Amino acid sequence: MNLMAEILIQVVIAFLAGSLLLGLHRKIMARVQRRPGPPIIQYLLHSLKFFFKETSIPKTVSKPFYIGIVFILALIWIVGVIVGPVAHDSLLILFGVYAVYKIVEHNSGSSSGSPYGKLSCVRAVLSAATELPLFASIVFVYLVTGSMNIGEIIAYQSVHGSLVYTIPFAALMFFMLIITKSPYSPFAITKDKALISGFETEHFGLLRGFMHFSESIAWYVMLWVFLTIFFGPLNAVGYLIGMIVITFITGFINATTPILSPNHSVMTQITIGAFCFFATILMIFI
Amino acid sequence: MDFITLGGDLLGVIPLGDIVLYLTPFNLFLFAVLLGFTVLIAFSKPETQVEAAKFNTLGNSEVKVGEKEFRQRRFLSIICGIASAGAMITGDLFNFTLFMALVGILNIGIVSAVKQTSVLNSAFNYGLIAMMCSLPLFGGAAIILAATGTLSLEILSSMPANPMVVFGAVLMLIGILGESGVAPFFASKAEMFRTPGSPFIVIIHLSSLFIIVRAVEILLLVLW
Repeated sequence: MNLMAEILIQVVIAFLAGSLLLGLHRKIMARVQRRPGPPIIQYLLHSLKFFFKETSIPKTVSKPFYIGIVFILALIWIVGVIVGPVAHDSLLILFGVYAVYKIVEHNSGSSSGSPYGKLSCVRAVLSAATELPLFASIVFVYLVTGSMNIGEIIAYQSVHGSLVYTIPFAALMFFMLIITKSPYSPFAITKDKALISGFETEHFGLLRGFMHFSESIAWYVMLWVFLTIFFGPLNAVGYLIGMIVITFITGFINATTPILSPNHSVMTQITIGAFCFFATILMIFI
Repeated sequence: MDFITLGGDLLGVIPLGDIVLYLTPFNLFLFAVLLGFTVLIAFSKPETQVEAAKFNTLGNSEVKVGEKEFRQRRFLSIICGIASAGAMITGDLFNFTLFMALVGILNIGIVSAVKQTSVLNSAFNYGLIAMMCSLPLFGGAAIILAATGTLSLEILSSMPANPMVVFGAVLMLIGILGESGVAPFFASKAEMFRTPGSPFIVIIHLSSLFIIVRAVEILLLVLW
């Protein structure tokens, strides 16, 4: 297939699947909390609706960053789709994509001039603690398989079996990242409702539409990477079931867990990360 | 381990005498993002930061960055962006440590003109850690040089790691963690981000994160 066409198809799939999974996530949370909840398609409808809403720009903003950062966010997750599902390229590039995502969280909050965005920006710096477990889990995958290339990692698993059986604690570290990035997570300190919508508070209309678009793709890409490097090789049905199961688990956790304070959130993540780190070292080297 | 296994196909090499730049998709991605942000910084003006309502009134207080401070911070931010971009494609261990130290100094410089005590305190604490960590950073690189006779990442990647190289790499890791101010040192740096001037503080965060991402590649090249 033509490369451009494949990229386009994969981006559309990522957006639609990511939106529906996030809609499912809200539905599961609502049902666990004994509410009817919105329809599963609601997140997708919201995303599309924002593209047609009026866009207003506060007078306090740093304009190039306030507008540019939203398009950068969309662009980097499209790069994530190209590196992951399309090209099966290096995991390190995906780690770089995730690092830019953190920067976008940071800058979209601070560039608005809003005190809520600013607090979210400071919390984004604190929540950088989640990068270390992600980073450690990628290095462990590399140590076991001898490659950072996603295609080669899939090939390794087709011969030796899924990595989740070899390094389950590294998978748990990666799963921590997925919980952190899921909506209403106990670790989602940058989007705490005390900060209204955190770094998204001052982005309206088309700009918010792009943010929703990017978050849908981000959710899809993170689940895809997790399933691919720990449960691979999978076919389309396997991915679909895996994504629904993970969305269900994160929805259940988020529905039953209150959001933690920033310090508790960071310390919990570091503690779990450190435990998993040493447990994985023991499993690999002993 | 080599560049190709870690960062994808080698797209090109730029030899500048002893300094050789390696271009893989991974390095180019980091380099392009940093340059993109640096260009945005060059054309951006800082936001007006709205603080919570003043005591006993309904008004908000607005904090702006003065013209002179703006020019100084913009200059330092652009240099920081270029230094970080250089660290992304360099193929020399010593160049990487130099860029790293430069980024640490510039991070302090970017907030040093701010007139907020909490921000200056944070910059002071971060500065202390960065200074202390420059010893293991350069010491680690020196030990690797002494143990192998080279600082070229390409040659180091093809050599087996002996215990001295592992020791040097561990020292470097400690130095990088401290210089970039990430966990467990992030607490010293977080307050620096409260200051107004979004285009300038974004480069502080971006340079720290990307240096860590590149450091992973470098440590894997040296150790495996």
